[in-house]
Amino acid sequence: MRRRDFNKALLTCGLTPCIGLAQDSDSNVISVDELPELVGEISLYLGRGEGGLYENVLKAISDRNPKFKLNIRRGPTAALANAIVAEKEAGIRRADVFWAVDAGAIGLVVDQEIAEPLPSELVSQLRPNYRYRNWLPVSGRIRTLPFNTSALGIEQIPQSIMSLPDEGFKLGWAPEYASFQSFITAMRLLAGNEATSDWLLKVNSSAKRYAGELGVVMGVERGEVDIGFANHYYTLRLKAGKPDAMLDLAFTKGDSGCLVNASGILALTSNKTVHNFIRYLFTKEVQSYLSSEAFEIPLVDGIALPRGIPSLDLISPPAIDLTQLSDLRPTLDLMRELRVL
Amino acid sequence: MRIKLTSISGLFAGLVFLISHPVAIFADGEAGEHVNNMQEHLENYEDEIVWFLDELQKITSAYEGGGSSEYSSDMLIDNWEAVDFHAAIEINYIQIYASIWQGIYGVKASLDSGEDPKSVDIQEAGLEKALWQGLGAVKLAARFQSEGLVGAQGNIDSRSLSPSETLEAIKSELDRALAKSAERLPDEATDIVLGAYLELFEGLEGDLITLDAELVEDLEKDFNVTLPQAISSELALDSLNQVVSQMKSKLDRSKELIQDAEESRRSVF
Repeated sequence: MRRRDFNKALLTCGLTPCIGLAQDSDSNVISVDELPELVGEISLYLGRGEGGLYENVLKAISDRNPKFKLNIRRGPTAALANAIVAEKEAGIRRADVFWAVDAGAIGLVVDQEIAEPLPSELVSQLRPNYRYRNWLPVSGRIRTLPFNTSALGIEQIPQSIMSLPDEGFKLGWAPEYASFQSFITAMRLLAGNEATSDWLLKVNSSAKRYAGELGVVMGVERGEVDIGFANHYYTLRLKAGKPDAMLDLAFTKGDSGCLVNASGILALTSNKTVHNFIRYLFTKEVQSYLSSEAFEIPLVDGIALPRGIPSLDLISPPAIDLTQLSDLRPTLDLMRELRVL
Repeated sequence: MRIKLTSISGLFAGLVFLISHPVAIFADGEAGEHVNNMQEHLENYEDEIVWFLDELQKITSAYEGGGSSEYSSDMLIDNWEAVDFHAAIEINYIQIYASIWQGIYGVKASLDSGEDPKSVDIQEAGLEKALWQGLGAVKLAARFQSEGLVGAQGNIDSRSLSPSETLEAIKSELDRALAKSAERLPDEATDIVLGAYLELFEGLEGDLITLDAELVEDLEKDFNVTLPQAISSELALDSLNQVVSQMKSKLDRSKELIQDAEESRRSVF
């Protein structure tokens, strides 16, 4: 399958500014000015990531609400998810809210049935495909194929992730990277273990390995490889620092290759302060901050996408419950069995 | 003995990092409870240095007297690993910790290779100087600790590191890698470098690359290729120090860029 109409949109947009593509006239996104003052105290478990930008958001919320005390426990997302589960088994609850950098960790907690249902009007702020009853995706990241524009034209890149290893391109990957492993989990769930094994074996036989996905994108830009596997924001950030980089983004269609994963938040306590705190994260101010500063994809309507990303209407992520990405163990077992890890 | 600390803030950031990331990887095992109350143990640390230097004197005197089976050069390492001060300086000022190991191996090498007593004396003087400098650094850190500027070892998640603090923490980790190289522990040194990359630098490079992509590419290569190769090829410590110094200059440049960017970053609300 090759690119047709979808290419045109991508070529038109490319990595040039595309502000406004996601605007929706029916948007119900609210402003921080519409929210009540936060009063009380809550404990947040915060997965580390995104530099200090999440911290900036939390500090801004605290500064705006002097009668509100936010206690934060920080740590790797997976470790905090395990801590919440362990605390539940011990019959204690220390966290009121969990903000995780990936949906897989959210799934681990949701599976324990300890996440509280969230108010329906809060859930309905999210785009229809991202509405869950007891957790909310805060912002998204898209799996992409960064490619070297001096080596390839976008029309040469297949729209199927499964056929990519058969095309003879020089590929770059970072299989130890958590986002890559979530992508393989999605592939396993969508295409099955056998097809995923074949894919991993083919890529492993020829791909150049990097320590992280920013390294992959830099390798693509230097021409060490033709195409890489990486979250979208690495390419956008490299292009921001090096506008003449020979680099662009391609997207597959309807498969794990264009999975939209997300950071997410859930409540372990149900009260007004917790719900209003969560509401702050879905205001137009916070959502646009995460989009413009962290290059993350806003998942509420009415917020501009990061520069360089085509409209979400032109991207075809697979239909998958993101919490299923918590099923990581079989993925790691498979990758170890195939000696990818 | 006075000590000139060129970067108190660097020391503080290193302390904060070490406290928020318990690093109990010591050549001689657990650090010991004394590091949580250093002020109470300063006298003991000083006594240990005096004892260590007395023992050093006995070893070098025996050498100058024609050698003795009672005093071998290996005792230098055993003696150093036996003192509590070892953990106190390793935790608090890793550059001097590296200098002490460099001094120990300098004396040991000059004894083992049969150098003339004058050369041994030069190495011995360098080691003595590093030890007293170390005590000065530990005294300063003990004061910070007793004034509550830093907490006890093992308190986690009390605060997050800002990007600038993270860059200082990376520099401390590079010094720790140098120290492990000086201890002749190249695998441990390499693990520290790769850990600093994955746990610290990677969280910053996404922002940093938007500011100076070439600088990030350079540092990526330094973390993943240049420094690990230099460590595994067991370059002389001075050469290794040069590689680390160049990386630190790039990290300082990164800090300037990130600070400037933070100042001009839009506010959330």
